[in-house]
This record gives sequence, C-alpha cells and structure tokens, in this order.
Amino acid sequence: MPDNMSSLFEFDQSAREIRCIGNWTVLNMDGLAAKLIELINCTEESLNINGKELKAMDSAGALALHNAITHSESVNKAVSLHSFNKQQNAMLKLVKEQEEHLHYEPPKQTKDNIFALIGKETISKLLQADGLIILVGELSSKLFIAFGQWRKLHVPSVVSNIFTAGIQALPILALLSFLIGVVLAYQMGIQLQTYGANIYIAYLCGIANFREFGPLITAIIVAGRTSSAYTAQLGSMKINEEVDALRTMGLSPVELLVMPKVIGLTLVFPLLIFWADSFAIFGSMFMSKFMLEVSYVDFLARIKSSVGVKHMLLGLYKAPAFAILIALVGCFQGFRVESNADSIGSQTTRSVVQALFLIIIADAVFSIVYSWLDL
Amino acid sequence: MEDEIIIDISGLQNCFQGQWVHKDVNLQVRRGEILAIIGGSGSGKTTIIRSILMLLKPTAGRIKVFGKDIDELSNEEADALRRRWGMLFQHSALFSSMTVLENIMFPMIEFTHLDKSFAKELALLKIALVGLPEESAYKYPSELSGGMQRRAAAARALAMDPELLFLDEPTTGLDPRGARKFDELILFLRDALNLTIVMVSHDLESLKKATDRIAFVGEGEILAVDPIEKLMKNDHPMIAEYFSTL
Repeated sequence: MPDNMSSLFEFDQSAREIRCIGNWTVLNMDGLAAKLIELINCTEESLNINGKELKAMDSAGALALHNAITHSESVNKAVSLHSFNKQQNAMLKLVKEQEEHLHYEPPKQTKDNIFALIGKETISKLLQADGLIILVGELSSKLFIAFGQWRKLHVPSVVSNIFTAGIQALPILALLSFLIGVVLAYQMGIQLQTYGANIYIAYLCGIANFREFGPLITAIIVAGRTSSAYTAQLGSMKINEEVDALRTMGLSPVELLVMPKVIGLTLVFPLLIFWADSFAIFGSMFMSKFMLEVSYVDFLARIKSSVGVKHMLLGLYKAPAFAILIALVGCFQGFRVESNADSIGSQTTRSVVQALFLIIIADAVFSIVYSWLDL
Repeated sequence: MEDEIIIDISGLQNCFQGQWVHKDVNLQVRRGEILAIIGGSGSGKTTIIRSILMLLKPTAGRIKVFGKDIDELSNEEADALRRRWGMLFQHSALFSSMTVLENIMFPMIEFTHLDKSFAKELALLKIALVGLPEESAYKYPSELSGGMQRRAAAARALAMDPELLFLDEPTTGLDPRGARKFDELILFLRDALNLTIVMVSHDLESLKKATDRIAFVGEGEILAVDPIEKLMKNDHPMIAEYFSTL
C-alpha cells in the first residue's frame, strides 16, 4: 500500500503547523526526512507538528520525525508536538533514547602506503607457499606411514575418488578429445593437401595428440571438474568445523581427506590420458578419411610405424605430475577457505586458475627436459 | 482490537516421504501476544513456522495470515505479506559476506528508496534496540559471538518494522545469562514495537518468562494451547512427560 509521497504531510502556513497524514512506515518514507528538514529551514521561528491524522508510524517514521525535531532545535526553532497517540509517543521516546548510537561511524582505518602494501602482499604469498610446503611435507610423511600400514591407505575412499574424478569424467573427456582430434586433422590437412603429402597426417596428429594435446586436454578438464570440487568440498567441511572435528579426534585431515584424493587421481590420471589419446586419434582418423581419403588401416599402420609407443609414453609420463598438482592445489585452496559464503567461491576460482597455471608451467618444464634428453 | 486473530491455521497436514508430520494442526495467534510452540524433537514445530512463512507448501489445510489465505495470494500480495513479518532463523542465517550493518540495511535498500544516510541511521537504531554494541555494526558475522549473531539476526528481522516476528529457538546455544537477556529483549520488543511473536523454544526459563501462551505439538496435532502454569498441570501423558524431563 505505498501512499503517494506528497500526501504524507501538509503544511498549514497560517497556523505554522505540519499535519502528518497516513502511514509513516518504512515502505513510504522515501525522502520524507529530507523534505521535513527542508520545510523547517524555510519557516521562521516555532512550528507545530500535528499527528492527529497519522494512521501508523513505525520506527522509520519516528526516526524521520526525530531527525526533524533535533534539526530544528539545532537551528533554535522550537517545535511542539500535538495529538500523537500513546503508542506513537512511545516510539518517539524509544528513538530519542537511542539517539547517541545513531551517528556511529566506523573507526577510521589508516591507509597503508605502497611499500607497506607490497610488503604485506609478499608476506601473505610467502605464508601461502609455506602452507603448501607444509601440506606437501605432511602428505609425504603420511604416505610413507601408509605404505607400511595398508589400513591407512583408506582404499574405499581412494576408489570413490577414482570413480568421481575418473570414471565420471570419461564421457566429456571422450567427446572433447574426439573434437580436438577432428579439428587438428582438419587444420593440418589443409596444409598437407596443398603439397600432396596426405599420408603425413597420421604422423603429425599422432605426435601432437600423444605428446601434448592428450595430456593437456585431460589436465584441463580434470582441473576444471575435480580441483574445483575438492576445494568446494574441503571448504564447506572447514566452514562446518568438520576439519577441526577430525583434528580434535586426533585424526589427520591430510591423511583422511587429501591423501586418498592424491592417490586416486594419480592412479586414474594415466588411464584418462590414454582414453583421451584414443579418442583424439579416432577423431583425426575420421577426419583424415573424410577429407584426405587416408584409409583407417593406412592411418593406424602409419601411426604404429612412425610414431610408435615411445611418444605415447612421453605423454603418459606427465600424468603423475599433473595429477598431484591438481589434487594438491584443490585441497590446499580448500583448506584456505574462511567462514563466509564469498570465500568458497573465490577459493574455488583460485584453485582452478592456479591448477591450470601450474599445469602449463609443468608442461613447459617437461618439454624442456625432453628436448635436453633428445626425446 | 486486542483479540484480533492474525494467524489462523486450520486442518494443517504435512506429509514427508510417506510420514505424517502433522495430521490436523489448528492454531490461532492473537495480535500482540507471544506464543511459543513446543514439543518433542521431530514433532514438526519448525515445520509449522515454515508452512506459515510459505517456505513449504503444506499437504493440506488452510493458513490465514492477517485475514488472508496464503494459498490464494498472488505473487505481489505474497511479497507484500512477506514484508510484514520477520524471521529469526535458528542459526542466525546472516549473510556472511556483509557486515552487520549491511545485513540490516539490505532489505531496506531492496524494498525502498530511502537515502543511504537515513537507512544507515535506521539500521543503527535497530542495532541499538537489540542491545548490540555499536562497534559490531561494522563487523562481519563471523567476527561476532553466537549470542551477538543472534541479536544481529534479530535486528535484521526487525529491519522492515514487521508486525509479526518468528523466532526459531532464539535462546538455544546461548549461555544462561545471554538467554535471559534475550528473553528481556523479546519482551521489550513486543512492548516497544507492538509486535506479535511466534517462537519455537525448549528453554523452560524463557517459556516461563517471555510467553503469554504455549502451544504443545504432539501426535501431529496441537494438544493444548495454554499459559505455562496451566500447561504444566496438564495431565496428557506427552505433555506431562515433556515437563517431567525438563
């Protein structure tokens, strides 16, 4: 029932009286307080405020009226109230009693200069690196212990991680690698066709898929799916104090939550890469037949003779590094979640971005190492 | 005016996954009273409140709030109704990414065009009313203690000056002193702001001190609605057992 603003009060010039009308409730208050003060500034000397026609007044109405009264007192104009009922007077009194609290400003925060900011940021980054190193250390020590006691490996949890991070990723991974295979063959096919070197498509696609695209596509999909899931899971567990609950029971969150994820992902990652390789090759094979008229048999024979297992293995060697990076970054960012709703979102974003960043760095390192070794 | 009924529940039934939580709930709430809903755990106390608040569609039954059947409201009417009540959730449910002040100003800014400074004064007024120290206005919920979070949540529930306030276990988890202070706050708010308050509570002290009538839920029905003294003498086996174990 929003009333029209103009109908909230009337000013009677001759009697110097403001007549309050209608519902002075929070939904109708837009600008009323300012208008009242304006009116007071325009009039001379004393004013009467009449509440006879007021239907309802809540704390917002009372506050507006209170502000008008204090303002007019501050400019030495007397104000008298008439015909407000008991309830409205009580409300006004309530506001008046809390007067001192109404203008509270937050204590001013001192602004840091640029050097302080750089210093703080550096320290926070160093602490973050420190936290990651601690996590890696704790994880390694727990792993060593677990290899002696198989119960500590938490096999069911590892298996469930293999299922969610591995098996459930198969369809999307198959589809995307197939498409990458098709696109790759198409782009290279155009060039090869002009030189009549159609059959080299098998070699080029084989090398590119096995060495780079298979592992990278897998890593990107797993980073997007799994590292974000790890962060969100650990983050909400942390907000819910489940992580603290584990600690107080004398159980290690790293052993129970992080280790199964790292082990599970490390086990399943090479298989995922192989899966991605196969579908990328299917895609390239399909496109080669379609565009370059290279038959399936020729294509596969050529891959076997010119590419061979060696290059596929070079791609698969990257798997443990990628898997550990993704799992660690996801878990580490999960533990850094603080108890507010924004934090899970921002840490999840950070975990995906950092995982992708580190994967690309790791891939570059692999390339350098392979070239040193002349592989 | 005094005896005006503002919530009228008749024949409310709720069934979850083949289990009847409510078989036949009938309850009236009068303007200006503080009514508590009690009962064993799992008896569906919070479910009654959630049904009234339209957070949950009842299986059957009629609920009238301010004389209007909530089942027949248009979206606009329902939204208008929602502005006339406030709810204090069991775990406070403050928005964790906003400061206390922003939490309280949030509904004001969303629903009205009040200018910022006025809305801020109004929010600070609510903070002062619920007895929070003013420094907490600029703190985030996670920086406050449980009792203070509860007060901040009460301030947010009061942001739009509701006529009707729902409290879900307001004193659970507070220390006895904090709980008694909260009872005082409830009484103070009722008297100062002319609220009608419906609350779920297990706190006997708070039931004794801060309620006018108590509705006992059991066997899917309201077994009795009486002031505490009378209810404690009720010889229904469930009610007697409830009070004997407290």
